[in-house]
Amino acid sequence: MLKNQHYFKVVSNKKLTARLCHLVLSGKSFKAKIKPGQFIHLRVSSGLKPFFRRPFSVFRSKKSIEILYDVVGGGTKMLSEKTKGTMIDCIGPLGTSFCMPPKKVKKVVMVAGGVGIAPFLGLSDVFKEKKYELVLLYGGRNKDYMFNLKEFKTNGCRVYTSTDDGSVGVKGRVSKLFSKINGNPGEIFIYTCGPKPMMKSVQSFAQKEGICGQASLEEVMACGIGTCLGCSTKTKNGYKTVCKDGPVFKLDEVIF
Amino acid sequence: MINLSIKIGKVTFKNPVTVASGTFDYIEQYYKASDVKKLGAIVPKTVTLSARKGNLSPRILETPSGMINAIGIENLGVDYFINEKMPKFSSLGVPIVASISAGSNKEFVALAKKLDKVKAIKAIELNLSCPNLRNKKLIAQDQKVTKEVVRAVKKVVQKPIIAKLSPNVTDISEIARAAEKGGADAISLINTLMATAIDIKTRKFILGNKSGGLSGPAIKPVALKMVYDVAQKVKIPIIAMGGIMTADDALEFIIAGASMVAVGTASFVDPNAPLDVLTGISAYMKKNKMKSIKQLIGSIEE
Ligand SMILES: Cc1cc2nc3c(=O)[nH]c(=O)nc-3n(C[C@H](O)[C@H](O)[C@H](O)COP(=O)(O)OP(=O)(O)OC[C@H]3O[C@@H](n4cnc5c(N)ncnc54)[C@H](O)[C@@H]3O)c2cc1C
Ligand SMILES: Cc1cc2nc3c(=O)[nH]c(=O)nc-3n(C[C@H](O)[C@H](O)[C@H](O)COP(=O)(O)O)c2cc1C
Ligand code: FES
Repeated sequence: MLKNQHYFKVVSNKKLTARLCHLVLSGKSFKAKIKPGQFIHLRVSSGLKPFFRRPFSVFRSKKSIEILYDVVGGGTKMLSEKTKGTMIDCIGPLGTSFCMPPKKVKKVVMVAGGVGIAPFLGLSDVFKEKKYELVLLYGGRNKDYMFNLKEFKTNGCRVYTSTDDGSVGVKGRVSKLFSKINGNPGEIFIYTCGPKPMMKSVQSFAQKEGICGQASLEEVMACGIGTCLGCSTKTKNGYKTVCKDGPVFKLDEVIF
Repeated sequence: MINLSIKIGKVTFKNPVTVASGTFDYIEQYYKASDVKKLGAIVPKTVTLSARKGNLSPRILETPSGMINAIGIENLGVDYFINEKMPKFSSLGVPIVASISAGSNKEFVALAKKLDKVKAIKAIELNLSCPNLRNKKLIAQDQKVTKEVVRAVKKVVQKPIIAKLSPNVTDISEIARAAEKGGADAISLINTLMATAIDIKTRKFILGNKSGGLSGPAIKPVALKMVYDVAQKVKIPIIAMGGIMTADDALEFIIAGASMVAVGTASFVDPNAPLDVLTGISAYMKKNKMKSIKQLIGSIEE
């Protein structure tokens, strides 16, 4: 009954690290163009376990639709077992997308925690043509979250990494890298996605420095289309659904 | 031709398949209008007299074969519903059953009077059973209160009145009888079963509201028994819901005595469920050479 429900074939589904996987779906029947920040809502099982669909940010979408995912529980485990040629029931693209930075901005900083990096490859694809200074600050728990960031670099991103255990990049939280967000605040724009505590630290840094930005949120979802009001999150403008009013919000609007 | 039409009060619905309140919205944006038009009716989310913010998050969680929700009837109030939402719903030409909830009979009456004037609304469902409102007791947990609310609303409106009941009672058929005595034109059941879940790491309730209501396939057997019990006690039509995912599920309810069925939670998982249910019911009737849905309603062999 939905306009944007499709069945897509798995083109490839590979492990990138001990934790992260990369799924490519053939996306020919997608009528709507996917914008960076939007997500797809997948039914990972045709049975009732797990019961809900699972939402994933679009990692990249050119001819195919790619997602980057972390195997955290039963649903993502089932997804990781999908073999080439399997059909997947997919609703999308859903939700809001990242906006273009205001006119004065010269430097774009993407702050990602763990698999929160997923929406930023597509975003950097868009920005590489726009002549911004691109910076990616990427923090992961350990080396299991450190996959090859070549494509970000190809898109012109200066990449800085951190891990909690120091196995790759700077030891500690991604906030250790905030010193890279330097320059005239009015000329910087931040995009962030990752665990809530991380985004909260980005928000307070941005507020202190007077920098604007956007954050992409996560919340457990049922419908994915704004109907159930289950994924609501508190914002300065009242409760908003992450699936329909978001997942991308103004950074200063969100109450973490 | 198979006759699937069902009458509630003076209103005829072209087929018995509808969607449960709180599970279907933003039709113009997300749904194919041609598919939605096939439904027998649409029941939008419950509205209240003034806007409600809803409960703290998290508001939902997944359970084996179902979900718990504690939305808290977040809505922008009845005037917004009539002015902003209804034009979109009514453009489809599908009968709308407006669902309302209130804290007092007076409020119920005020709400119902407003909605009674809206042409595209064909019936009014009284949600007497939302477990997420932090009231001491649900209306549908008390026979007398149920009867009085239904009577008060029935007195002032022209459109058929449907009483939506709660499974969180000792004997739902007694409440159904009370609603019928109050003048209800139909009974709708079941709303969600009170439920909760605890995070053992933090030893806190997972839901912001502490508890919520269970829905989905997990509750189907419970709902089916209640529909059967109520069908033995009342003469008015029953609109059945609770875990309907497939046409087979819906057929069980109809055989147990339901005149209409509503698909709720299933739509979140399988958005085609309402339509598949409708197609499946027709196919079953054809296969069993039935001409009218009435041959099927309450046809359980005992
Ligand atoms: C808009 C959006 C975009 C997302 N994009 C990505 C992505 O690109 N890559 C990726 O790996 N993950 C992404 N997620 C998170 C992903 O949906 C969850 O990791 C996944 O649903 C977990 O399913 P599971 O069955 O494996 O784990 P479960 O066993 O269900 O849960 C494991 C853990 O994940 C949490 N969780 C469950 N569902 C969600 C959810 N919907 N959102 C957030 N946390 C959840 C649970 O609370 C629990 O702590 C996104 C979530 C949202 C809302
Ligand atoms: C997210 C959600 C929101 C709901 N909101 C309402 C509501 O506003 N009013 C109401 O009468 N019932 C509401 N319900 C209950 C359903 O209409 C239905 O009675 C119940 O979920 C059982 O059916 P199901 O298992 O098919 O979902 C809601 C259910 C869910 C899951
Ligand atoms: S998941 Fe249903 S409103 Fe967002």
